[in-house]
Amino acid sequence: MALHTALVKTEEGKISSDKAKKFIASEKNGAESIFVGKVRNENDGKKVTGVTYDAHDQAVIKSFESICNKAKDKFDKNAKIFLEHAKGYVPVGGISILIAVGSGHRDEAFKICRYILEEVKHQSPIWKKEHYTDGKEEWLPGHSLRPKKEVK
Amino acid sequence: MEIQLRLYGASKILSDKDAIKIELPNNSNIEKLRDILSKIISEKYSKSNLENLPKTAAFFSEKNEVVNDNYKLKDKEFISIIPPIGGG
Repeated sequence: MALHTALVKTEEGKISSDKAKKFIASEKNGAESIFVGKVRNENDGKKVTGVTYDAHDQAVIKSFESICNKAKDKFDKNAKIFLEHAKGYVPVGGISILIAVGSGHRDEAFKICRYILEEVKHQSPIWKKEHYTDGKEEWLPGHSLRPKKEVK
Repeated sequence: MEIQLRLYGASKILSDKDAIKIELPNNSNIEKLRDILSKIISEKYSKSNLENLPKTAAFFSEKNEVVNDNYKLKDKEFISIIPPIGGG
């Protein structure tokens, strides 16, 4: 099996880089690239305590599989890919997304990792609500999936 | 007719429930749903920064695919509202 994708509900478990490393491990790998996205303590001048991630589960998994398969077609058909994203509350320092890629060569490993991250941000129905130290919270703006020809 | 609108992201400000019932004239399409949502938001949620939501959101059918403004809604159908996304 060369592809693993999942939404990890934060009340049930955590995203694990050890699990990702084991999944992509192979003697055929000349390169392993791992991207770890984390919740940081500041955004736009506001002090952040955590982020709640919401997701349309079925559509997210469908998009993850499509994005990863396109990445393999584009860069390396034999790449091993691990992609997990959090759903629920993640405190500052917690992992929101982890992408791990095992490939024959470094260029492909880097490119697949970057490609998946950018496509997830533009295709996968996931939303962020930031929580601040003053007790306020805010859903963040994002990328519209409405067909462009309909926007007047 | 009525539909069940499943809520995601910022649209969850509209209710604590996962979905809300929306009353619509018979044979309504997504464009009509956008109009009705605009009215609901301007009447009840004018201070919630949701005024652009009806224009910027996409809508998924029960097949989890984006449907366009001409999509004819069916009575009792479940539709998901998809506000602008931003994971990662």
